Amino acid sequence: MKKYVSVLLTLILISGIITVCGASEIKTLRIGYQPSTHQIAEMTAMEKGWWTRDLAKFGVENITDTEFSSGPPEMTAMMAGELDVAYVGTAPPITAIDKGLDAKIVASVNTNGSALVLSPGLAANYTSPADLKGLKIATFPPGSIQDTILKKWLKDNGLDPGRDVHIIGAGPGEAITEIMTGVVDGVFLPAPSPTIIEMADAGKTVVYSGEMFPNHACCCLLVSGRLIREHPELVKQIIRTHINATRYNNEHKEEAAEIYARKVRGTDVEKVKESIKRWDGAWVYDPHIEINSTLVYAKVDYEMGYTNKLLTEEDLFDTSLYDEVMGIAPAPGTVSPTPQPTSQPTPGFTSLLVIAALLVYIVLRRFKI
Amino acid sequence: MKRNRLISILNNRGIIEAISLSLTIILWELVSNFIVRNPGKLPSPYSILLAFCDIWEIIPLDIGISLLHFGIGIGAGAAMGIIVGMLMGWFRIVDRIMDPMVEILRPIPPLAWVPFAILWGGLTHYAAGFIVFIGAFFPILINTYTGFREVDKTYIDAARVLGCREEWKLIKFIALPFSLPSIATGIRIGMGVGWMCVVAAELFGVSKSGLGYRLFQVFWPLHMIDKLILYMIILGLVALLLDRLFRYFVEEKLFKWKRGIVIAK
Repeated sequence: MKKYVSVLLTLILISGIITVCGASEIKTLRIGYQPSTHQIAEMTAMEKGWWTRDLAKFGVENITDTEFSSGPPEMTAMMAGELDVAYVGTAPPITAIDKGLDAKIVASVNTNGSALVLSPGLAANYTSPADLKGLKIATFPPGSIQDTILKKWLKDNGLDPGRDVHIIGAGPGEAITEIMTGVVDGVFLPAPSPTIIEMADAGKTVVYSGEMFPNHACCCLLVSGRLIREHPELVKQIIRTHINATRYNNEHKEEAAEIYARKVRGTDVEKVKESIKRWDGAWVYDPHIEINSTLVYAKVDYEMGYTNKLLTEEDLFDTSLYDEVMGIAPAPGTVSPTPQPTSQPTPGFTSLLVIAALLVYIVLRRFKI
Repeated sequence: MKRNRLISILNNRGIIEAISLSLTIILWELVSNFIVRNPGKLPSPYSILLAFCDIWEIIPLDIGISLLHFGIGIGAGAAMGIIVGMLMGWFRIVDRIMDPMVEILRPIPPLAWVPFAILWGGLTHYAAGFIVFIGAFFPILINTYTGFREVDKTYIDAARVLGCREEWKLIKFIALPFSLPSIATGIRIGMGVGWMCVVAAELFGVSKSGLGYRLFQVFWPLHMIDKLILYMIILGLVALLLDRLFRYFVEEKLFKWKRGIVIAK
């Protein structure tokens, strides 16, 4: 029995050491993104090899990017430790950080850029938000930018999002199919989906998101807390690369559309180009311009019971690295850099399985089974 | 003496079950608090209890809507499964006509039918009921078919000798009563599979309530893992209750004639 106990304790110790000391070097950088023209900066940097070129000096040998249909599943992956960097709306990180995700918004990606599209018959008769009563509208899942803005706008216009309008959470592909087949009456989606639907004569835009909430924050660059604390220079370079890619896209919009069409298979490049002409969005990089509207999202989420507490700028943003990159002196009382999380890293399921297996072995030997 | 008394207590109905459940909950609490220590991955039983206190008001509505979808699917599945199974089991020609289609459609997972159900049924309770129907139909069909195929020929011959020659009378008075235990087994299996399909049915927002809807359209996107696990437990408990009710009314009441002629107590 003493022998088994000492073996068990040794295994626990080894598991703990492996976990705590685990590789702190970043050999592979894992980026998440969504199939939206909001996030072409990530695609441009990937296609042109800028991520690889700019991050090689920090020891990063491999860069991977994974597509997610919307922000909430992307945040689930980040919470599971599968992503280091995420191009995502500023709303999904709110609920994720509230539930323990260690990450901060370090740069902005775009503002505005979504639209409410109704089926042609309904769009022709649309005059005000009251016309949406009783309709089925598909949008991104709860916690996403689109869901948050749509619900806020409906409430501001006297409609109860839970009772007056049937809001269905879906990815862009499903939502487009649903409006095209008449399953839903409308969709509220980011570009290029609204233009794709319009050019297929399956719907008409009635309200742009910039009309619902002027200059609202949309996508942002979210980086894991561990990366910010342990590799601040790497994160600063990520921000620089993102800024360069954003500036490039602003100067080469047609090429940006082509990059998008190559990245997101099956997309018609002409529709993407048209979408960029029609949208009310802008590609940006300064995180400061997204703070106010993101805090409004945090308030909306808190009031709807999506978060346990009202998150603040300190909880969501770390603008210090961007300020250093741009040579901006910190304002008095500025947010301090990303602190250590209060919970310690977990031993992980591998250690748990090893310990469980050993316990079963000890029991079986003890009772001579 | 003490050992004998302990064994006697443990042999009482429910004691070992209660101890097993209690130990599982205690172990779960210890693992989540001291080993995993990440409520986003494994919330503790206590946090799940707090989650229940937080949202208990919406639980009855969600259970009700899920039972509605379940009822639509099981009702249609039982009706069609018994009729088709009966026809296939009794008439060889029907079996030969239907068998290829049944064997192709049967292995298709209910989840694969969801886009079809939404396109044809829209975002309605009937689309959700259709997914449950797909899950429940085939077990009921197969068990009905098997029950009919295994009708003892002696009973058929005896019935014919006594003047019962019409096919529908043979089915009604001989084959159907004989097959009832097999049909009941099929319905019980169909109920289990059908209930599992309720979550798939509600995955894509066919309704504004429901256990599956709340799980995938609200709790998961918002990372409310404690509420997600709470609903998983509720799914299991409701399934247990449905099964126990079915067994009480069918096996205890309808089939009480089997007592004494089968080994089951």
